[in-house]
Amino acid sequence: MSAPESGVVRSPQGVGQRVPLIDGASKVTGSAVYTDDLKMPGMLVGKILRSPLPHAKIVSIDTSRAEAMPGVKAIVTGSGDMAKFGVLPISKDEVALAVDRVKYVGDCVAGVAADTEEIAMAAMAAIDVRYEPLRVFDKAEDSLEDIDPGLKINPDTRHASNLHKEVNQNFGDVDAAIAAAAHVASGKFRFVGVTHAFTEPHCVIAHFEPTGRLTIWSATQVPHYLHRDLSAVMEMPMHKVRVVRPMVGGAFGGKSDPFPHEMIASLLSRKTGRPVKILFDREEVFLTNHGRHPTKTSVTVACDENGKLTGLDLDALIDGGAWGSFGVVTTYYNGVLSAGPYDLGNFRYRGRRVYTNKAPCGAMRGHGAVNSRFAFEVLVDELAEKCGLDPAEIRRRNLLTSNTTTLNGFRITSNGTAECIRRVVEASDWDKKRGRLPYGEGIGIACGFYISGSALRINWNKVPQSTAHLKIDMDGGVTVHCLAAEIGQGSDTMLAQCVAEVLGLPIDWVRVCARDTDTDPIDLGSYSSRVTFMAGLAASRAAEVIRQKLCQAASRLTGRPAEGFDTRQCEVVFLPEPEVRVHYLDAVLEAIAGKGALIAKGCYHDAPKMGGDHKGAAAGLSPTYSFQAYVTQTKVDPETGFIKPMKVWAAHDCGKALNPLAVEMQIEGCLHMGLGQAMMESFGYNRMTVSNPNLLDYKIPSALEMPDVEVHIVESNDPEGPFGAKEAGEGPLLPILPSLANAVTDAVGVRFYELPMTPDRVLNAIEKKERAAARTASGKKRTPEESVR
Amino acid sequence: MILSPFQLHRPDSIEAALALAAEHAADADFIGGGTDLMQNYKNRLNAKGNLIALNEVAELRGVSATRIGAMERLSGLADHPIVRRDWPGLAEAITHVASPLIRNQGTIGGNLLVETRCYFFNQTPFWRETKGSCMKAESDECLVIPQKEICYAAYSGDLAPLLGCLGAVLELASPTGRREVPVSEFYQGDGITKNVLGENELVVGIVLPDGARALRAGYRKLRLRDTIDYPEMGVAAAVKLDDSSRITELRAATTAVDVVPQFADYTGTCAGRTIADVLDEVADDLQANAQPKKNTALPVGYRKKMVGVFLRRLLRDLADGKSEGRISAA
Ligand SMILES: Cc1cc2nc3c(=O)[nH]c(=O)nc-3n(C[C@H](O)[C@H](O)[C@H](O)COP(=O)(O)OP(=O)(O)OC[C@H]3O[C@@H](n4cnc5c(N)ncnc54)[C@H](O)[C@@H]3O)c2cc1C
Ligand code: SF4
Repeated sequence: MSAPESGVVRSPQGVGQRVPLIDGASKVTGSAVYTDDLKMPGMLVGKILRSPLPHAKIVSIDTSRAEAMPGVKAIVTGSGDMAKFGVLPISKDEVALAVDRVKYVGDCVAGVAADTEEIAMAAMAAIDVRYEPLRVFDKAEDSLEDIDPGLKINPDTRHASNLHKEVNQNFGDVDAAIAAAAHVASGKFRFVGVTHAFTEPHCVIAHFEPTGRLTIWSATQVPHYLHRDLSAVMEMPMHKVRVVRPMVGGAFGGKSDPFPHEMIASLLSRKTGRPVKILFDREEVFLTNHGRHPTKTSVTVACDENGKLTGLDLDALIDGGAWGSFGVVTTYYNGVLSAGPYDLGNFRYRGRRVYTNKAPCGAMRGHGAVNSRFAFEVLVDELAEKCGLDPAEIRRRNLLTSNTTTLNGFRITSNGTAECIRRVVEASDWDKKRGRLPYGEGIGIACGFYISGSALRINWNKVPQSTAHLKIDMDGGVTVHCLAAEIGQGSDTMLAQCVAEVLGLPIDWVRVCARDTDTDPIDLGSYSSRVTFMAGLAASRAAEVIRQKLCQAASRLTGRPAEGFDTRQCEVVFLPEPEVRVHYLDAVLEAIAGKGALIAKGCYHDAPKMGGDHKGAAAGLSPTYSFQAYVTQTKVDPETGFIKPMKVWAAHDCGKALNPLAVEMQIEGCLHMGLGQAMMESFGYNRMTVSNPNLLDYKIPSALEMPDVEVHIVESNDPEGPFGAKEAGEGPLLPILPSLANAVTDAVGVRFYELPMTPDRVLNAIEKKERAAARTASGKKRTPEESVR
Repeated sequence: MILSPFQLHRPDSIEAALALAAEHAADADFIGGGTDLMQNYKNRLNAKGNLIALNEVAELRGVSATRIGAMERLSGLADHPIVRRDWPGLAEAITHVASPLIRNQGTIGGNLLVETRCYFFNQTPFWRETKGSCMKAESDECLVIPQKEICYAAYSGDLAPLLGCLGAVLELASPTGRREVPVSEFYQGDGITKNVLGENELVVGIVLPDGARALRAGYRKLRLRDTIDYPEMGVAAAVKLDDSSRITELRAATTAVDVVPQFADYTGTCAGRTIADVLDEVADDLQANAQPKKNTALPVGYRKKMVGVFLRRLLRDLADGKSEGRISAA
């Protein structure tokens, strides 16, 4: 799918136009309908009784007192007969309600449906659960020990320990490369967990209808996977289950798993025959987590005397929490997504994800790539220093080209990294600033690389990864049906724009129905940055079918050949004689005459065959990749340790900006999220309980912490993407963390191997460096502890 | 999380409010803007069965050159022409409190009486169930420093230090009459006893001494984000200089590094000297007296060290006639 020749505008809100999101007005005026806004006749309040213990045997659950309370309508508890579920078919380890054992503080023990929230809470307090504490697995290292099978958090794994997934990949000879290298940089990095902190807490309404069908309204970014797993857990064929996604108030990966609360609401509704709503408190959102994994990452990078990379050795120990979730993918992504944008020479990766007795971790914006990218980019700067090279130059020297293959078999097509670097280096005046700013001010650079959708599907079947249906009746309005989940990222607007572009219509002719499994064909959901690429292609292909029909109709009305027509601004124009034109509505009426409404469909099946044949070769394969380069300028207060990022020049290769406004918003949002992880966010635990389960103590940056952001959109025009587009929602998160850390190093001379860089840590590091310098100056030997930095 | 149930009372006079308080004794709280109190009610922390709302009591309102009613909202005060003209340090300090939305609702009286804070206390019932509760909530032991005598929850209001340095006095009313207590003597005891306010006593207003207008005063606040967050540490100072820039009065105070705000009067040791001359001495002393405990987000040693760093900066700014201090970082 490509745009018409430049200069031709088919639609005022078509491809390349700055289009405000079509659902924006309803959100800012408060008229948008989120799940919690829905009220059903006879609706009950559902609540979940959660485990106060991190790991314990359930000796008994007595619900009799609670059940006898007036206003309590149903209570459900776990049963071994219920199907396990999970987003990945290879690790379906989750249960709707704890069976025999609880595995983390917050694990679901019982569901209660009652007339009011007060009654439901009183009922929960009246449920008597007896526990017998079990050994608690806290540190990831402890989960690598062989243990009694009864202590395995997931009894179904092949391992004798609490290991969930181990990945070993080896390309070339890394040891030899390191041994022969002119320079080597290595570090042991520590990353705490971070969480999505979306605005809308999880909310679900389940209604087991008198017809025997189950309808569920849920704040989800994966209606299709929810549809599948609900069908399995409820033991109902998929056609008897209907999933509706109302407006979603942010997700960032935190709503991309089918969840126990969705199952619990369904069970409660089946038991009562009434709609049951479960709305989470903010604390429950934290307890459910599914955020970025805490990770210990050991990295060694080697290069020759010219700064050419010769090897990357990466080891990640990943703390998964109590469930699998997307963890198998996370384990791969922590390694394989380091394969770009640089040519590595040799590459070895060992990744291990373990189960621990903590809230499950899962997918979060930049899934799997963020921590390793940080470590890698910080060490590339260290190598630059060792080589005496400018950090921008060492990166330029190592870039992969367009149309190449990475050493682990990724097919690279369009690649705008070099242009990204050029743009930010120039715009930031990098050459004049790097190493030359006064003490306490610094500038840093980093690159990024991310998938634009997963080439291979999660479930092995032949259903296209995305399908769109279009319908146009005599009113001329175009309805786009597609299950792609709008979660605030702008996918509805993207679908509308693609269709408006092809049909040559203002965007207000197009309405998007992307929310109901009864009416909207399958799209796999909003994860892995796949929607613009895949659903965008599906919708434009469907629109193309209709465009042809309109051109044929215009041909019939004018007697000119159909091939000469194209859609332009509400008209179908015969291009060789532009005065021969038919109004869009006349073409529609002609096209539907005697046949009924125009309908069409378009699909995105699978990427072309690609990838190596090593174990796990499919992980990280994408039809195309996005690339980034950021320069960040910061102040660091050497007396307080406060980091104050001043300006970020952010260049991102999104192939083609279908909507530059939306691309900019995604980049700014990514920056905000990445700065949070870099500077202050920490999903802490205190003796196995989330230590800061609220948005006052879990610190996400405010608008006042945001630097000035200058976005540079680089368009490499992807040969396969819709109108040349690829992703813009996740990759732009990657470079902000290391570019800030590298700027801090430039400002005060300390390197960070641990996040977040809170002021107390920064001050500590500065003071340590000063003490060491003083000691060196006075001729004393440095202690081993100090020479680590 | 839903609020715990309570009965709301709306008296329109101080007498009626005090009568209600006496009637419900230990089972009632006054409520100003509720921005502090309601968080604790949601968390079922010492929630009472009766709330006595003060916003219809006219006598608690009003701003003059020497008096601010306890029920004046923070946003209004920060923008008030009299406050901006006569008490610019206070107007600036108010902008450090919470966030703009919260300041629209929060009152200055409520701010002075803001509940003491502790990591183990400001948590949900479920959290306290999993980790054990402490003596400020349902139980009888402290979780920060295990013992049963003293609660170390930190006083975390932003305005008390500055008002204390200015010599402000609180007007209190109780069924037995009215009294006045200087802000610098109001806070006593530990994280549970907090201050000298009687059970059925309320704050009517804050009196600012005429003479204080000649002071240069300011407040600097440590927190991770430059909005929303309670102080991890805060310092205020008020200084009067003569024509040759010699100190004639100097007071300083801290918040959030002890169970009560700490006030220090340095006039005796510093009179006749310049700010540059006393800077280290005063900063070291105030820092040495800070007693932060491990119950907030940032480490104790860091918070203590920042007392000196922030006070030095504040005093230098006051010497230069600068008061602008919104950015806690660079
Ligand atoms: C997210 C968040 C962040 C915050 N950050 C800060 C911060 O940075 N700095 C800060 O100082 N505060 C902060 N606060 C606390 C609070 O918002 C402010 O202190 C505010 O000024 C309190 O005023 P209020 O009228 O809302 O108090 P209320 O909640 O109404 O009352 C607080 C206490 O004072 C009592 N009280 C109120 N008025 C009277 C009176 N006239 N006489 C006797 N007793 C009275 C109440 O019974 C209660 O015990 C924050 C609150 C929130 C929710
Ligand atoms: S200091 Fe101790 S007693 Fe006071 S709130 Fe904290 S844990 Fe409770």
